[in-house]
Amino acid sequence: MRINLVLELLDSPGKLVKVLEPISTFGANLVTVIHKRDYKNDNGMVPVQLTLEGEHEELKNVVDKFEELGFTIIEMDGVVRKEKITTILFGHIVDQDLRDTMDRINELDGVEIVAFDIKLNGEDKSTALINIEADLGKKQIIFNRIAEIASEKDLLVINEV
Amino acid sequence: MDECKVIIMGFGSVGQGVANAISMKKDLIKDKTGVDVKVVAAADSSSSAISQDGLDEELLVNTKKEKGKLSAYPEFGSDVSGMDVLDAVEYDCLIEATPTNIVDAEPAFSLTLKAFEQGKDVVTSNKGHLALKFKEVVGAAEKAGVEFKYEASVGGSMPIINFSRDTLSSCDIKSIKGILNGTTNYILSRMTSEGSDYEVILKESQELGIAETDPTQDVEGIDAACKTVILANSVLGIDATYSDVKVQGISSINSQAIELAKKDDYLIKLIAEVSPDNLQVSPRLVKRGSSYDISGTLNMATVETDLAGDITVMGLGAGSLETASAMLTDLISILRNKS
Repeated sequence: MRINLVLELLDSPGKLVKVLEPISTFGANLVTVIHKRDYKNDNGMVPVQLTLEGEHEELKNVVDKFEELGFTIIEMDGVVRKEKITTILFGHIVDQDLRDTMDRINELDGVEIVAFDIKLNGEDKSTALINIEADLGKKQIIFNRIAEIASEKDLLVINEV
Repeated sequence: MDECKVIIMGFGSVGQGVANAISMKKDLIKDKTGVDVKVVAAADSSSSAISQDGLDEELLVNTKKEKGKLSAYPEFGSDVSGMDVLDAVEYDCLIEATPTNIVDAEPAFSLTLKAFEQGKDVVTSNKGHLALKFKEVVGAAEKAGVEFKYEASVGGSMPIINFSRDTLSSCDIKSIKGILNGTTNYILSRMTSEGSDYEVILKESQELGIAETDPTQDVEGIDAACKTVILANSVLGIDATYSDVKVQGISSINSQAIELAKKDDYLIKLIAEVSPDNLQVSPRLVKRGSSYDISGTLNMATVETDLAGDITVMGLGAGSLETASAMLTDLISILRNKS
Protein backbone atom coordinates (compact mmCIF):
# COMPACT_ATOMS: atom_id res chain seq x y z
CA MET A 1 0.00 0.00 0.00
CA ARG A 2 0.96 3.64 -0.42
CA ILE A 3 0.58 6.74 1.71
CA ASN A 4 1.09 10.40 0.90
CA LEU A 5 2.40 12.62 3.68
CA VAL A 6 3.23 16.28 4.02
CA LEU A 7 5.69 17.05 6.80
CA GLU A 8 6.95 20.36 8.10
CA LEU A 9 10.68 20.76 8.51
CA LEU A 10 12.80 23.41 10.11
CA ASP A 11 15.06 25.00 7.50
CA SER A 12 18.37 23.80 8.93
CA PRO A 13 21.06 21.44 7.61
CA GLY A 14 20.51 17.71 7.91
CA LYS A 15 16.75 17.77 8.56
CA LEU A 16 15.76 15.99 5.34
CA VAL A 17 18.24 13.19 5.99
CA LYS A 18 16.68 12.70 9.43
CA VAL A 19 13.29 12.23 7.77
CA LEU A 20 14.57 9.72 5.24
CA GLU A 21 16.40 7.52 7.75
CA PRO A 22 13.38 5.85 9.40
CA ILE A 23 11.93 4.94 5.99
CA SER A 24 14.68 2.47 5.21
CA THR A 25 15.08 1.43 8.85
CA PHE A 26 11.51 0.13 8.91
CA GLY A 27 11.70 -1.39 5.42
CA ALA A 28 9.38 0.99 3.58
CA ASN A 29 10.11 2.30 0.09
CA LEU A 30 10.35 5.94 -0.82
CA VAL A 31 8.38 6.57 -4.03
CA THR A 32 8.43 10.36 -4.25
CA VAL A 33 10.02 13.18 -2.30
CA ILE A 34 9.34 16.84 -3.07
CA HIS A 35 11.39 19.25 -1.07
CA LYS A 36 11.47 22.91 -2.14
CA ARG A 37 13.80 24.64 0.23
CA ASP A 38 13.09 28.14 -1.05
CA TYR A 39 9.37 27.89 -0.17
CA LYS A 40 8.37 28.47 3.43
CA ASN A 41 4.87 28.37 4.89
CA ASP A 42 3.40 30.75 7.52
CA ASN A 43 5.14 28.86 10.30
CA GLY A 44 8.49 29.59 8.67
CA MET A 45 8.83 25.87 7.97
CA VAL A 46 9.65 24.00 4.77
CA PRO A 47 6.95 21.50 3.74
CA VAL A 48 8.13 18.15 2.39
CA GLN A 49 5.86 15.88 0.38
CA LEU A 50 6.54 12.15 0.64
CA THR A 51 4.97 9.13 -0.98
CA LEU A 52 5.85 5.86 0.72
CA GLU A 53 5.16 2.26 -0.21
CA GLY A 54 5.18 -0.74 2.09
CA GLU A 55 3.19 -3.09 4.33
CA HIS A 56 0.65 -1.49 6.67
CA GLU A 57 2.80 -2.25 9.72
CA GLU A 58 5.95 -0.81 8.14
CA LEU A 59 4.21 2.43 7.19
CA LYS A 60 2.67 2.74 10.64
CA ASN A 61 6.12 2.34 12.22
CA VAL A 62 7.51 5.08 10.00
CA VAL A 63 4.68 7.50 10.85
CA ASP A 64 5.04 6.74 14.58
CA LYS A 65 8.78 7.35 14.35
CA PHE A 66 8.23 10.70 12.60
CA GLU A 67 5.96 11.78 15.44
CA GLU A 68 8.40 10.51 18.05
CA LEU A 69 11.15 12.56 16.39
CA GLY A 70 8.92 15.62 16.66
CA PHE A 71 8.16 16.10 12.94
CA THR A 72 4.72 17.59 12.41
CA ILE A 73 2.68 15.68 9.83
CA ILE A 74 0.32 18.32 8.52
CA GLU A 75 -1.36 16.23 5.82
CA MET A 76 -1.97 12.51 5.43
CA ASP A 77 -3.43 11.09 2.18
CA GLY A 78 -4.75 14.49 1.16
CA VAL A 79 -6.49 15.12 4.49
CA VAL A 80 -5.25 18.14 6.42
CA ARG A 81 -4.81 17.21 10.03
CA LYS A 82 -6.47 19.59 12.49
CA GLU A 83 -6.16 20.42 16.13
CA LYS A 84 -8.56 22.16 18.48
CA ILE A 85 -7.61 25.13 20.62
CA THR A 86 -9.70 26.57 23.39
CA THR A 87 -9.14 29.91 25.04
CA ILE A 88 -10.99 32.34 27.29
CA LEU A 89 -10.93 36.12 26.96
CA PHE A 90 -12.00 38.50 29.71
CA GLY A 91 -12.45 42.24 29.35
CA HIS A 92 -14.48 44.74 27.33
CA ILE A 93 -14.68 42.28 24.45
CA VAL A 94 -17.71 43.74 22.64
CA ASP A 95 -16.78 47.41 23.06
CA GLN A 96 -13.27 46.66 21.84
CA ASP A 97 -14.55 45.66 18.39
CA LEU A 98 -15.45 42.01 18.67
CA ARG A 99 -15.68 41.66 14.91
CA ASP A 100 -12.08 42.85 14.49
CA THR A 101 -10.92 40.36 17.15
CA MET A 102 -12.58 37.45 15.34
CA ASP A 103 -11.44 38.57 11.88
CA ARG A 104 -7.85 38.82 12.97
CA ILE A 105 -7.89 35.24 14.23
CA ASN A 106 -9.80 33.91 11.21
CA GLU A 107 -7.50 35.60 8.71
CA LEU A 108 -4.61 33.35 9.78
CA ASP A 109 -4.05 30.69 7.16
CA GLY A 110 -5.66 27.37 8.11
CA VAL A 111 -7.24 28.79 11.26
CA GLU A 112 -10.96 29.08 11.94
CA ILE A 113 -13.10 30.03 14.91
CA VAL A 114 -15.71 27.27 15.15
CA ALA A 115 -17.54 28.34 18.32
CA PHE A 116 -17.84 31.51 20.35
CA ASP A 117 -19.65 31.66 23.66
CA ILE A 118 -19.94 34.98 25.47
CA LYS A 119 -21.34 35.97 28.86
CA LEU A 120 -22.29 39.62 29.11
CA ASN A 121 -22.28 41.37 32.42
CA GLY A 122 -24.09 44.69 31.86
CA GLU A 123 -21.57 47.49 31.60
CA ASP A 124 -18.94 45.33 33.29
CA LYS A 125 -16.28 43.25 31.62
CA SER A 126 -17.53 40.22 29.73
CA THR A 127 -16.11 36.72 29.38
CA ALA A 128 -15.87 34.72 26.15
CA LEU A 129 -14.84 31.17 25.39
CA ILE A 130 -13.49 30.62 21.89
CA ASN A 131 -13.02 27.28 20.14
CA ILE A 132 -10.59 27.36 17.25
CA GLU A 133 -9.85 24.66 14.72
CA ALA A 134 -6.49 24.88 13.05
CA ASP A 135 -4.12 22.93 10.86
CA LEU A 136 -1.58 21.03 12.91
CA GLY A 137 1.40 23.07 14.07
CA LYS A 138 -0.37 26.45 14.10
CA LYS A 139 -0.83 26.63 17.85
CA GLN A 140 1.97 29.07 18.59
CA ILE A 141 0.94 31.44 15.77
CA ILE A 142 -2.59 31.52 17.18
CA PHE A 143 -1.36 32.11 20.73
CA ASN A 144 0.86 34.94 19.49
CA ARG A 145 -1.98 36.56 17.56
CA ILE A 146 -4.34 36.35 20.55
CA ALA A 147 -1.67 37.76 22.87
CA GLU A 148 -1.15 40.66 20.47
CA ILE A 149 -4.91 41.44 20.31
CA ALA A 150 -5.24 41.06 24.08
CA SER A 151 -2.46 43.48 24.90
CA GLU A 152 -3.87 46.03 22.43
CA LYS A 153 -7.41 45.74 23.81
CA ASP A 154 -6.51 45.15 27.45
CA LEU A 155 -8.05 41.66 27.62
CA LEU A 156 -7.04 38.86 29.98
CA VAL A 157 -6.27 35.61 28.15
CA ILE A 158 -6.61 32.18 29.72
CA ASN A 159 -4.90 29.66 27.47
CA GLU A 160 -4.68 25.91 27.73
CA VAL A 161 -1.70 24.36 29.48
CA MET B 1 29.80 13.23 63.90
CA ASP B 2 27.61 11.81 66.73
CA GLU B 3 25.69 14.97 67.46
CA CYS B 4 24.22 17.73 65.31
CA LYS B 5 23.43 20.98 67.09
CA VAL B 6 20.78 23.01 65.28
CA ILE B 7 19.45 26.54 65.57
CA ILE B 8 15.88 27.17 64.47
CA MET B 9 15.54 30.78 63.28
CA GLY B 10 11.95 31.88 62.90
CA PHE B 11 9.38 30.32 65.18
CA GLY B 12 6.07 30.72 63.40
CA SER B 13 4.12 27.86 61.92
CA VAL B 14 7.11 26.35 60.08
CA GLY B 15 9.64 26.81 62.91
CA GLN B 16 7.26 25.21 65.40
CA GLY B 17 6.60 22.42 62.90
CA VAL B 18 10.34 21.73 62.73
CA ALA B 19 10.58 21.60 66.55
CA ASN B 20 7.64 19.19 66.71
CA ALA B 21 8.99 17.07 63.87
CA ILE B 22 12.45 16.82 65.50
CA SER B 23 10.82 15.77 68.75
CA MET B 24 8.81 13.08 66.92
CA LYS B 25 11.62 11.83 64.67
CA LYS B 26 14.76 12.01 66.85
CA ASP B 27 14.99 8.24 67.16
CA LEU B 28 14.40 7.71 63.47
CA ILE B 29 17.15 10.19 62.58
CA LYS B 30 19.51 8.45 65.02
CA ASP B 31 18.67 5.09 63.40
CA LYS B 32 19.18 6.38 59.87
CA THR B 33 22.29 8.45 60.41
CA GLY B 34 23.74 7.56 63.79
CA VAL B 35 23.51 11.22 64.77
CA ASP B 36 21.66 12.81 67.70
CA VAL B 37 19.91 16.03 66.71
CA LYS B 38 19.88 18.65 69.46
CA VAL B 39 18.13 22.03 69.28
CA VAL B 40 20.55 24.48 70.95
CA ALA B 41 18.65 27.66 70.10
CA ALA B 42 15.31 28.79 68.72
CA ALA B 43 14.47 32.38 67.94
CA ASP B 44 11.39 34.38 67.01
CA SER B 45 11.43 37.94 65.69
CA SER B 46 12.35 39.58 69.01
CA SER B 47 13.63 36.96 71.43
CA SER B 48 15.07 33.48 71.79
CA ALA B 49 15.78 30.47 73.96
CA ILE B 50 19.41 29.35 74.01
CA SER B 51 21.14 26.46 75.76
CA GLN B 52 24.33 24.71 74.74
CA ASP B 53 23.03 21.53 76.43
CA GLY B 54 19.90 21.46 74.30
CA LEU B 55 16.34 22.65 74.65
CA ASP B 56 13.11 20.70 74.96
CA GLU B 57 11.30 20.94 71.62
CA GLU B 58 7.80 20.52 73.03
CA LEU B 59 8.44 23.10 75.73
CA LEU B 60 9.63 25.54 73.05
CA VAL B 61 6.38 25.15 71.12
CA ASN B 62 4.22 25.39 74.26
CA THR B 63 6.08 28.47 75.49
CA LYS B 64 5.60 30.21 72.15
CA LYS B 65 1.93 29.23 72.00
CA GLU B 66 1.09 30.19 75.58
CA LYS B 67 3.37 33.16 76.27
CA GLY B 68 3.72 34.50 72.73
CA LYS B 69 7.52 34.80 72.87
CA LEU B 70 10.48 32.51 73.39
CA SER B 71 12.09 34.75 76.01
CA ALA B 72 9.52 33.22 78.39
CA TYR B 73 11.21 29.79 78.05
CA PRO B 74 12.10 28.65 81.58
CA GLU B 75 15.70 29.42 82.61
CA PHE B 76 17.07 29.69 79.02
CA GLY B 77 14.79 32.42 77.62
CA SER B 78 16.71 35.47 76.42
CA ASP B 79 16.40 38.81 74.64
CA VAL B 80 19.14 37.93 72.17
CA SER B 81 17.63 37.98 68.69
CA GLY B 82 18.42 38.09 64.97
CA MET B 83 22.03 37.67 63.83
CA ASP B 84 23.32 37.69 67.42
CA VAL B 85 21.77 34.29 68.06
CA LEU B 86 24.30 32.75 65.66
CA ASP B 87 27.13 34.10 67.85
CA ALA B 88 25.55 33.14 71.15
CA VAL B 89 25.91 29.38 70.86
CA GLU B 90 27.94 26.69 69.12
CA TYR B 91 26.02 24.94 66.35
CA ASP B 92 26.37 22.78 63.24
CA CYS B 93 23.32 23.56 61.14
CA LEU B 94 21.00 26.55 60.81
CA ILE B 95 17.36 25.72 60.16
CA GLU B 96 16.09 28.97 58.72
CA ALA B 97 12.30 29.38 58.78
CA THR B 98 11.80 33.15 58.91
CA PRO B 99 8.97 34.65 56.81
CA THR B 100 9.61 35.19 53.10
CA ASN B 101 10.45 38.77 52.21
CA ILE B 102 10.23 39.48 48.51
CA VAL B 103 11.40 43.11 48.79
CA ASP B 104 14.91 42.76 50.22
CA ALA B 105 15.03 39.06 51.26
CA GLU B 106 15.83 39.93 54.88
CA PRO B 107 16.42 38.65 57.49
CA ALA B 108 16.93 35.33 55.69
CA PHE B 109 19.65 36.63 53.38
CA SER B 110 21.95 38.00 56.10
CA LEU B 111 21.34 35.08 58.45
CA THR B 112 22.18 32.58 55.73
CA LEU B 113 25.36 34.36 54.62
CA LYS B 114 26.50 34.66 58.21
CA ALA B 115 25.98 30.94 58.81
CA PHE B 116 27.99 30.18 55.66
CA GLU B 117 30.79 32.46 56.86
CA GLN B 118 30.81 30.54 60.12
CA GLY B 119 31.18 27.33 58.08
CA LYS B 120 27.72 26.01 58.94
CA ASP B 121 25.21 24.13 56.78
CA VAL B 122 21.80 25.72 56.20
CA VAL B 123 18.35 24.24 55.58
CA THR B 124 15.68 26.76 54.60
CA SER B 125 11.99 27.05 53.79
CA ASN B 126 12.41 30.67 52.73
CA LYS B 127 11.76 31.84 49.17
CA GLY B 128 12.83 35.50 49.31
CA HIS B 129 16.60 35.22 49.02
CA LEU B 130 16.32 32.34 46.54
CA ALA B 131 13.93 34.26 44.28
CA LEU B 132 15.90 37.52 44.41
CA LYS B 133 19.52 36.39 44.73
CA PHE B 134 19.74 32.71 43.91
CA LYS B 135 23.19 32.79 42.36
CA GLU B 136 24.66 34.87 45.14
CA VAL B 137 23.36 32.65 47.94
CA VAL B 138 24.17 29.34 46.28
CA GLY B 139 27.57 30.71 45.24
CA ALA B 140 28.32 31.73 48.83
CA ALA B 141 27.51 28.21 50.07
CA GLU B 142 29.81 26.68 47.47
CA LYS B 143 32.59 29.10 48.33
CA ALA B 144 32.27 28.31 52.01
CA GLY B 145 32.19 24.58 51.26
CA VAL B 146 28.99 24.03 53.22
CA GLU B 147 25.65 22.46 52.34
CA PHE B 148 22.62 24.56 51.51
CA LYS B 149 19.26 22.83 51.08
CA TYR B 150 15.90 24.36 50.24
CA GLU B 151 13.43 21.62 49.29
CA ALA B 152 10.80 23.14 51.61
CA SER B 153 10.79 26.42 49.67
CA VAL B 154 8.77 24.88 46.82
CA GLY B 155 5.66 22.75 47.25
CA GLY B 156 5.85 22.20 51.03
CA SER B 157 5.83 18.45 51.56
CA MET B 158 5.75 17.67 47.84
CA PRO B 159 9.18 16.44 46.71
CA ILE B 160 10.24 18.36 43.61
CA ILE B 161 13.77 19.84 43.83
CA ASN B 162 15.63 16.85 45.24
CA PHE B 163 13.32 14.59 43.25
CA SER B 164 14.19 16.24 39.93
CA ARG B 165 17.89 16.60 40.68
CA ASP B 166 18.67 13.36 42.49
CA THR B 167 16.00 10.78 41.77
CA LEU B 168 15.81 11.77 38.08
CA SER B 169 19.54 12.41 37.73
CA SER B 170 19.74 10.30 34.54
CA CYS B 171 17.34 12.65 32.75
CA ASP B 172 17.50 16.11 31.25
CA ILE B 173 14.60 18.10 32.65
CA LYS B 174 12.96 20.02 29.82
CA SER B 175 10.19 21.77 31.73
CA ILE B 176 8.15 21.77 34.91
CA LYS B 177 4.51 22.80 34.92
CA GLY B 178 2.35 22.74 37.96
CA ILE B 179 0.18 24.17 40.66
CA LEU B 180 2.56 25.63 43.23
CA ASN B 181 0.20 27.66 45.39
CA GLY B 182 -2.34 25.93 47.61
CA THR B 183 -4.35 29.01 48.58
CA THR B 184 -5.26 29.96 45.01
CA ASN B 185 -5.98 26.34 44.16
CA TYR B 186 -8.36 26.19 47.11
CA ILE B 187 -10.13 29.39 46.02
CA LEU B 188 -10.45 28.29 42.37
CA SER B 189 -11.61 24.79 43.38
CA ARG B 190 -14.37 26.20 45.54
CA MET B 191 -15.40 28.72 42.90
CA THR B 192 -15.70 25.77 40.51
CA SER B 193 -17.64 23.47 42.81
CA GLU B 194 -20.00 26.12 44.20
CA GLY B 195 -20.24 28.65 41.38
CA SER B 196 -19.57 31.44 43.90
CA ASP B 197 -17.75 34.68 43.24
CA TYR B 198 -14.08 35.26 43.93
CA GLU B 199 -14.59 37.82 46.73
CA VAL B 200 -16.97 35.53 48.64
CA ILE B 201 -14.63 32.54 48.59
CA LEU B 202 -11.58 34.68 49.36
CA LYS B 203 -13.30 36.03 52.47
CA GLU B 204 -14.24 32.53 53.62
CA SER B 205 -10.71 31.29 52.97
CA GLN B 206 -9.40 34.10 55.16
CA GLU B 207 -11.79 33.13 57.94
CA LEU B 208 -10.62 29.52 57.67
CA GLY B 209 -6.97 30.64 57.86
CA ILE B 210 -6.22 29.25 54.38
CA ALA B 211 -5.69 32.73 52.91
CA GLU B 212 -3.72 35.42 54.75
CA THR B 213 -5.28 38.68 55.93
CA ASP B 214 -3.29 40.32 53.16
CA PRO B 215 -3.68 37.71 50.40
CA THR B 216 -1.68 39.63 47.77
CA GLN B 217 1.34 37.28 47.68
CA ASP B 218 -0.88 34.29 46.95
CA VAL B 219 -3.68 35.64 44.76
CA GLU B 220 -1.50 37.87 42.61
CA GLY B 221 0.79 34.94 41.81
CA ILE B 222 3.85 36.36 43.62
CA ASP B 223 4.38 33.27 45.77
CA ALA B 224 4.11 30.94 42.76
CA ALA B 225 6.47 33.22 40.79
CA CYS B 226 9.13 32.92 43.54
CA LYS B 227 8.86 29.14 43.31
CA THR B 228 9.11 29.37 39.52
CA VAL B 229 12.43 31.20 39.91
CA ILE B 230 13.73 28.63 42.39
CA LEU B 231 12.87 25.70 40.10
CA ALA B 232 14.27 27.51 37.06
CA ASN B 233 17.63 28.01 38.76
CA SER B 234 17.94 24.82 40.77
CA VAL B 235 16.46 22.25 38.38
CA LEU B 236 16.71 23.69 34.87
CA GLY B 237 19.89 25.70 35.41
CA ILE B 238 18.28 28.90 34.08
CA ASP B 239 19.90 32.03 35.45
CA ALA B 240 16.68 33.85 36.27
CA THR B 241 15.42 36.16 38.95
CA TYR B 242 11.99 37.27 40.09
CA SER B 243 11.65 40.03 37.49
CA ASP B 244 12.09 37.51 34.65
CA VAL B 245 8.77 35.82 35.42
CA LYS B 246 5.56 36.94 33.68
CA VAL B 247 3.01 37.02 36.47
CA GLN B 248 -0.77 37.15 36.34
CA GLY B 249 -2.83 36.32 39.42
CA ILE B 250 -6.36 35.05 39.88
CA SER B 251 -8.09 38.14 41.29
CA SER B 252 -9.79 38.94 37.99
CA ILE B 253 -11.16 35.42 37.46
CA ASN B 254 -14.92 35.52 37.86
CA SER B 255 -17.53 32.78 38.14
CA GLN B 256 -18.57 33.32 34.50
CA ALA B 257 -15.13 32.38 33.23
CA ILE B 258 -15.19 29.26 35.37
CA GLU B 259 -18.68 28.37 34.15
CA LEU B 260 -17.72 28.80 30.49
CA ALA B 261 -14.62 26.66 30.99
CA LYS B 262 -16.71 23.96 32.69
CA LYS B 263 -19.07 23.73 29.72
CA ASP B 264 -16.13 22.67 27.57
CA ASP B 265 -14.85 20.28 30.24
CA TYR B 266 -12.06 22.59 31.40
CA LEU B 267 -11.04 23.93 34.79
CA ILE B 268 -9.18 27.17 35.46
CA LYS B 269 -6.00 26.74 37.53
CA LEU B 270 -3.12 29.02 38.43
CA ILE B 271 -0.28 27.31 36.59
CA ALA B 272 3.42 27.95 36.95
CA GLU B 273 5.42 27.12 33.85
CA VAL B 274 9.18 26.69 34.06
CA SER B 275 10.93 26.13 30.74
CA PRO B 276 13.91 27.70 28.96
CA ASP B 277 11.60 29.78 26.76
CA ASN B 278 8.87 30.57 29.23
CA LEU B 279 8.85 31.52 32.89
CA GLN B 280 5.25 32.29 33.63
CA VAL B 281 2.57 32.17 36.30
CA SER B 282 -0.93 32.63 34.93
CA PRO B 283 -4.46 31.26 35.02
CA ARG B 284 -4.71 28.49 32.43
CA LEU B 285 -7.32 26.06 31.16
CA VAL B 286 -6.69 22.44 32.13
CA LYS B 287 -8.72 19.41 31.09
CA ARG B 288 -10.97 17.91 33.71
CA GLY B 289 -9.56 14.54 34.77
CA SER B 290 -6.01 15.46 33.73
CA SER B 291 -3.15 15.42 36.22
CA TYR B 292 -3.72 19.16 36.78
CA ASP B 293 -7.23 18.41 38.07
CA ILE B 294 -6.48 18.50 41.81
CA SER B 295 -8.59 20.33 44.33
CA GLY B 296 -8.22 21.93 47.73
CA THR B 297 -4.84 23.17 48.92
CA LEU B 298 -2.91 20.43 47.10
CA ASN B 299 0.11 21.23 44.94
CA MET B 300 1.26 19.27 41.90
CA ALA B 301 3.99 19.41 39.31
CA THR B 302 4.61 17.60 36.05
CA VAL B 303 8.27 17.19 35.22
CA GLU B 304 8.97 16.73 31.50
CA THR B 305 12.10 14.62 31.00
CA ASP B 306 13.96 13.35 27.94
CA LEU B 307 14.30 9.70 28.98
CA ALA B 308 11.45 9.07 31.36
CA GLY B 309 8.66 11.06 29.71
CA ASP B 310 6.38 13.04 31.98
CA ILE B 311 6.39 12.40 35.71
CA THR B 312 3.86 13.99 38.03
CA VAL B 313 4.16 14.52 41.78
CA MET B 314 1.50 15.79 44.13
CA GLY B 315 1.31 16.67 47.81
CA LEU B 316 0.32 19.13 50.47
CA GLY B 317 1.87 22.46 49.58
CA ALA B 318 1.74 24.08 52.99
CA GLY B 319 1.19 23.32 56.65
CA SER B 320 3.38 23.23 59.69
CA LEU B 321 4.45 19.58 59.91
CA GLU B 322 4.20 19.09 56.13
CA THR B 323 6.75 21.83 55.41
CA ALA B 324 8.87 20.64 58.36
CA SER B 325 8.95 17.16 56.79
CA ALA B 326 10.81 18.56 53.78
CA MET B 327 13.27 20.42 56.04
CA LEU B 328 13.93 17.32 58.11
CA THR B 329 14.54 15.32 54.93
CA ASP B 330 17.12 17.93 53.91
CA LEU B 331 18.74 17.74 57.34
CA ILE B 332 18.92 13.93 57.16
CA SER B 333 20.55 14.08 53.74
CA ILE B 334 23.15 16.51 55.08
CA LEU B 335 23.86 14.18 58.02
CA ARG B 336 24.16 11.17 55.68
CA ASN B 337 26.63 13.00 53.47
CA LYS B 338 28.78 13.72 56.49
CA SER B 339 28.96 10.18 57.79
